[in-house]
Amino acid sequence: MNGYRKYFGKKLLWFTITFVVAVLLNFILPRLMPGDPVAVITAKSAQGMSEASAVKEVYEHYAREFGVNDPMFKQFITYFKNALRGDFGLSFSQYPRKVSDIINDAIWWTVALQLPAIIVGWLIGNTLGALAAYIRKGFDKVIMPVALFLSSLPPFGMAVILLVLFAIKLEIAPTSGGYGFDMIPNFSWPFVKSVISHYQLPFWSIVVYATGGQAIGMRSMSIYELNADYVKYSRFLGIKDSKIVGYVFRNAMLPQITGLALSLGTMIGGALVAEIIFSYPGLGTTLLAGITMADYPLLSATTLIITFMVLLATFAIDIIYGFVDPRVKAAQFDE
Amino acid sequence: MKRKVVTVLLALAAFALFFSCKPKESNTAVAEVQKETEAPAADASSGTLPRNQTLYWAGLQWGSINGWNVLSDDMNNFNVSRQAYGTRITMFETLYMYNFLDGSLVPLIADGAPQWNAGKTEVTVKIKKAAKWSDGTPLTAEDVAYTYATAVKIGNTAGNSNKPYIAAVEAKDAQTVVIKAALDASGAAKNPLMLDNYLAVEYVAQKAWIQKLESRTGSDATKMKIDPAEDVVYSGPYGPYFADDQKVVLVRNDNYWGKDASMWGKLPAPKYVAHTIYADNAGGEVAFKSGEVDVSQQFNSNVQDLWLKDKLPISTYMSEAPYGICGSLPTAYFNMAIPGLDNVNVRKAIAMAVDYDAIIANAMTNQSPTFDQVPRSTMNPTPGEQALYDQKAVANLQWVGNDVAGANALLDKAGIKDTNGDGIRELNGQKLSFKASCPNGWTDWMAAIEIVAAAGEKIGIEITSVFPEWSVYQTVVTQAHQMEYEIFMMWSDGSSPTMPWNRVRQLMSSEYVGVEGNWSGNWGQYSNPKVDQIISAIPATTDPAKLKSLYTEANKIYLTDVPSFTLMYRPNCFHAVNESVWTNYPEDGDGQNIPPGDLIHGYSIAGLYTITPVK
Repeated sequence: MNGYRKYFGKKLLWFTITFVVAVLLNFILPRLMPGDPVAVITAKSAQGMSEASAVKEVYEHYAREFGVNDPMFKQFITYFKNALRGDFGLSFSQYPRKVSDIINDAIWWTVALQLPAIIVGWLIGNTLGALAAYIRKGFDKVIMPVALFLSSLPPFGMAVILLVLFAIKLEIAPTSGGYGFDMIPNFSWPFVKSVISHYQLPFWSIVVYATGGQAIGMRSMSIYELNADYVKYSRFLGIKDSKIVGYVFRNAMLPQITGLALSLGTMIGGALVAEIIFSYPGLGTTLLAGITMADYPLLSATTLIITFMVLLATFAIDIIYGFVDPRVKAAQFDE
Repeated sequence: MKRKVVTVLLALAAFALFFSCKPKESNTAVAEVQKETEAPAADASSGTLPRNQTLYWAGLQWGSINGWNVLSDDMNNFNVSRQAYGTRITMFETLYMYNFLDGSLVPLIADGAPQWNAGKTEVTVKIKKAAKWSDGTPLTAEDVAYTYATAVKIGNTAGNSNKPYIAAVEAKDAQTVVIKAALDASGAAKNPLMLDNYLAVEYVAQKAWIQKLESRTGSDATKMKIDPAEDVVYSGPYGPYFADDQKVVLVRNDNYWGKDASMWGKLPAPKYVAHTIYADNAGGEVAFKSGEVDVSQQFNSNVQDLWLKDKLPISTYMSEAPYGICGSLPTAYFNMAIPGLDNVNVRKAIAMAVDYDAIIANAMTNQSPTFDQVPRSTMNPTPGEQALYDQKAVANLQWVGNDVAGANALLDKAGIKDTNGDGIRELNGQKLSFKASCPNGWTDWMAAIEIVAAAGEKIGIEITSVFPEWSVYQTVVTQAHQMEYEIFMMWSDGSSPTMPWNRVRQLMSSEYVGVEGNWSGNWGQYSNPKVDQIISAIPATTDPAKLKSLYTEANKIYLTDVPSFTLMYRPNCFHAVNESVWTNYPEDGDGQNIPPGDLIHGYSIAGLYTITPVK
């Protein structure tokens, strides 16, 4: 048990160090971007204002509001103190909304779309990949090229194909939004139905894309494992095929689990394409607007969430591996 | 088993989505507002807005709204938006409505035309007796005066941009407002045109509501400007109904004062007006084609294909090119501080060689008149502005474009030649090589800049295109002494009561030279005292002949010195309608004189009273 404690403590230390560095980078990097966000926000109010001095007043008002004239160090202290309380300040691109409000409004859409889509894509992909490796022959000949095609198609390509085919040509799916364009959210069956039907295209566009990549990975891993010595040995021993398949897939699954954890960690910024093509609400488009308008507070907060989630996912994987995979455990104990 | 997992996950997702669809906190107040207004019979209480009672827009609202505060510049609300070519008056109203078709001011809250005093130093406006707020109280001159005083006090755009020209807005009695101009040293109004602008552009807010806002914010200017104003009182025909990150819906106030015979005599046709929030233009276009949007303020490339090829019930203000009324002049500025571009022959040669027909055909898909049809000047193509200068007097200076031979001859004559045989001309021993820029992603401007670059190649001037991101672009372009952008695009404002004077000012006034954070104009830093004199003389000039000679003179200088050159004409706003649900939209030649301003900008709101449901 002492070994576990040491292993866990070491991982936790690295986790903390990485996190601190990440917070610092999250603060500094967006501020190194070229472009002055105060100018961007001023430009919005100043268009059509012909008096140069009046525009200057507008600029100074926003500069004061955001405290951009303070030294960087002071800005960081304020940022860090507020961030601990979950307050990321006011957004430049959506002034005067609070960054925390913006994220809170958008993040649930993203999570509700991405989490099931990634998991479903992962499950289908791995099942198909494993079956292709196990059955081979005709099945593999179909699955492999299809999976390759799906994973090499850019995500926006898949989204546009789905949109044109199902929404525009066949008219069996809505074209945009999270619910009907003529609806007001309420607790009724037509509204729930509308939410579900609007969910389909963005959801499947992510699932189909994720499936391809997972299937290819799982197929290669499984083929490798199927040829391993322990499989041959088990066969000599006369162990049942289904039992052997169980061993094989458990081993082949390990890298796939890492992949799953990482895609879950990065999902916050990952649904951009689906969000844009289907005008689906979520954090991806918000983040994109933040980037184009040099919205530091919004960028810092969003990247901080992504960083935290990736770190958490990798940390969790490390810990679970320590328990699950004897080889990892052994390697750690040897040190 | 797998199917079970999938089903459970889907159900979970739908569940999570369901909860995330909850309206934002601000909507509780909206719901209250809804309760206060009379609940309509066939209404949206079922959760669905009746399609044949709802008018949908696209292209006016990007991202969710921040509130309904009429004193704020930061509401990101398509209903609270001052626009020079027509302020949006669905919810809040202005004294007059600007009609960009003929430049007229149509009384809204005001009763009759504005009355100037003999010295043109103050203007008196009467308020309609029928005008009321949504809470039923009368709208008075006191509201007008208090709104202006507050705007100046808290320093919002309405206050900041008017205070150099307006000394005071005073209520003489409940029905009479006097707007006093700021005076110059000679005792004359600094700029009477800006008072006209005030009458058409600035909103009127309720004094009682402003005082409520002041008491809850302690009169703190910043707090007053960011208050979401969920309790706001308005005078327009529509009030808040629902808003979230996917749409904004307003409901008609059936007690709207405008149904009085002294104004519209009836209520606007749509019970609800709504705007779905799309991620980008493409999303709006798909919805427009499918009939989910009635009025589109988006650039639809090759808009005629929508009815000619796709056979959709879509139309524009005019059935033939340019399909709408162009008001603004997207312009390429020369940075006068760049060696080479300080030479007028180089500037003129580049401007002459550009193929404008190609820009208009490609970038604008012919939604702009050509420079053959409307010769270049500082005027927009509307008949009102075109009549203000003597076209014959400057005809020999107006180039149509794609004149490569003429441009080459001009450069050769000026002794600007390729001396080292590399195909590029030199001036004072320096190769003529420039960068042409506009913001990345502004596709019509980018296409135009590419055509400018191509023109350079034909006349021995190297022009390469550079497309920085907008956040970077506008930071650089507004700096006083930037040397980064050499030939670069910026806008010149569209129609407004101050035009075309303000456009002449925007294109050439030296008041913007050396100003840091210059969003106002003359970004190439051109300076000419003669033009400055003309710019200061125009606003006070009332004699039409004198005015015409001043504008003609300004145009002569502009076309001779070429500090910038217009690349295309562009509508004040795009305006296309899908007539599958509503019909009888304003059209060119229908005799109604309603401008194609999306039924929301200035006098174009009159269209809401003419449209009828198809079924």
